[in-house]
Amino acid sequence: MRRRLSVLIGFLLRRLFFSLTGVIYTILALVYWAILFPPQQGTPDFDNYFLIIGAFGAGMTFLVTLSLASRANEAANYPLVVRLPSRVEYLTAVLLSALLGAGLLQLLVAGLALFRGPAALWPQILEVPPVWISVNVLTAVLALHASDFVTAGWSRVYVFGILAIFLFGQSSGSNVAAWLGARLNSFSVQLVQQGWFDLANSFNRAANWLSNQGGAQLENLLGFLFWPFRAINEAVIRGYFDANQALAPAVLLLYATILFMLAADLFANKDLDFVE
Amino acid sequence: MVNYHADTDREKALFVIELRNISKRFYTLTALDSVSLTIARGEVVGLLGPNGAGKTTLLKIVAGMLQPDDGQLLPNGRGWPTIGFKPERLLFPNEMRVHQYLEMIAGLSNIPRHQVRQSVRDSLEKVGLLYAANKKISACSKGMRQRLGLAQVLIGEPALLLLDEPSNGLDLEGQNDILQVIQSLHAAGKTIVISSHHLHEITQVCTQLVILNQGQVHYQSSMAEALAVRPHVLLRVDKDLGPVREMFLALHPDIGVEGTQMMLKNEAMALRRPVLALLINAGYDILHVEQKRVTLAEIYARVVQ
Repeated sequence: MRRRLSVLIGFLLRRLFFSLTGVIYTILALVYWAILFPPQQGTPDFDNYFLIIGAFGAGMTFLVTLSLASRANEAANYPLVVRLPSRVEYLTAVLLSALLGAGLLQLLVAGLALFRGPAALWPQILEVPPVWISVNVLTAVLALHASDFVTAGWSRVYVFGILAIFLFGQSSGSNVAAWLGARLNSFSVQLVQQGWFDLANSFNRAANWLSNQGGAQLENLLGFLFWPFRAINEAVIRGYFDANQALAPAVLLLYATILFMLAADLFANKDLDFVE
Repeated sequence: MVNYHADTDREKALFVIELRNISKRFYTLTALDSVSLTIARGEVVGLLGPNGAGKTTLLKIVAGMLQPDDGQLLPNGRGWPTIGFKPERLLFPNEMRVHQYLEMIAGLSNIPRHQVRQSVRDSLEKVGLLYAANKKISACSKGMRQRLGLAQVLIGEPALLLLDEPSNGLDLEGQNDILQVIQSLHAAGKTIVISSHHLHEITQVCTQLVILNQGQVHYQSSMAEALAVRPHVLLRVDKDLGPVREMFLALHPDIGVEGTQMMLKNEAMALRRPVLALLINAGYDILHVEQKRVTLAEIYARVVQ
């Protein structure tokens, strides 16, 4: 399997980097470095370096994954897929190629930014790979779900719809809960007028809960999902990871694993109707 | 390929893959409707049918590209066969060279590294494309692409070769070359499934015949059996047979008369000597006598209509 994967990764990366898209991505990386890390100015802080290049890596991983998934989805690849004992090998090759391709561009920017860049201690440098890699892996898997290559039916809508609900819920949970509480309250009043006292009481209790502590609990619940991002951000700015925050990259990898399993399941069972 | 389900051990050893009641729908279109067939080891199965009959869908299901909505694909006891697939459309990664592309296929086919070059060379030699090994695929002609499509199928000697329109768009010489390659593969014991519109191609290389129409198998038989049925004698004379038509029709119900031609079918074939004598006595000159067998075109036309 390792040999088949290495053959596919070489093929996909060569297709990307020897194309106009690959050249544009390389230029984009250099432009990003020139704007955010101009050599004549130097980089002020290590935490900026850590976060800005991390964000660049995540963005580039998303773009590279979409590009590779689009190339993998071409009809010219039918004879290749037929040769594989499992379709998941093909999906894995796309994921690894994207991580490798985007990782190389990220390393390019990271290397260039060290020129007159921040002075970093070894413990700080050792904190970088787990964070960058975990964020990149999660981004790559999300990009796979966004691509036609993996999408089956409405799967893209479900995955990103649920993600959007979580994002919205963790930031506006209190407002939503208050609004919902007001609606339930007015509904319970109508039930009282109809003589449905027991049911009205239940709705009234639910409305009170939502209006008081419910919003905060909803925000906490949905916000828990995004805890690793906040933890990493806080730790990088503070300059070190505490025991809890050190788990954040592992949690991101767990999310990525779950999403990749879903992607593999979708890809293994869909009709491969590649684009001609 | 035969019309039975492979239920005994002996039969299982003989087949490569079996399709049981395979159905495939694309939204409201039924591409395949309860198709059952067994692809026997060493056979060359020809899939015929009009456009939209379900030939390519069937090949893609066997290749694992499409999932059937209903039915089962059953490999024999040795597990899922290794498959080489040549799609109808000749699409390749154009930026690669011919040998690079084939080396990649070899890498995916578990060919030991030290044998890759030889395997690529052999496959190119078989399809007559060795001279273009270093050529960029983008610079290859349509004929060269067809051969390249066939060459990639041969890499690693897969147990089952699926060829969708293998000689499509080739000139006569190119078509003959491809047919020769397929014949040599058959002689080497390969199991091949060919989808084609070219009846002469199917007739020349296939040992089994399947005619699909509107997603259903309308006809399946061994090629030898298919072409052995309905033999007839065709006579052509110098002038219109109208004046003697009733006499010959009364002689036997399997005698047909039309214009200057007469056809003796089934048992009427035994009457060819008396019929010839009667025609000569009636003042006709015999221009042509031919004992014919049914052609694939006739079978196809009958089945599809």
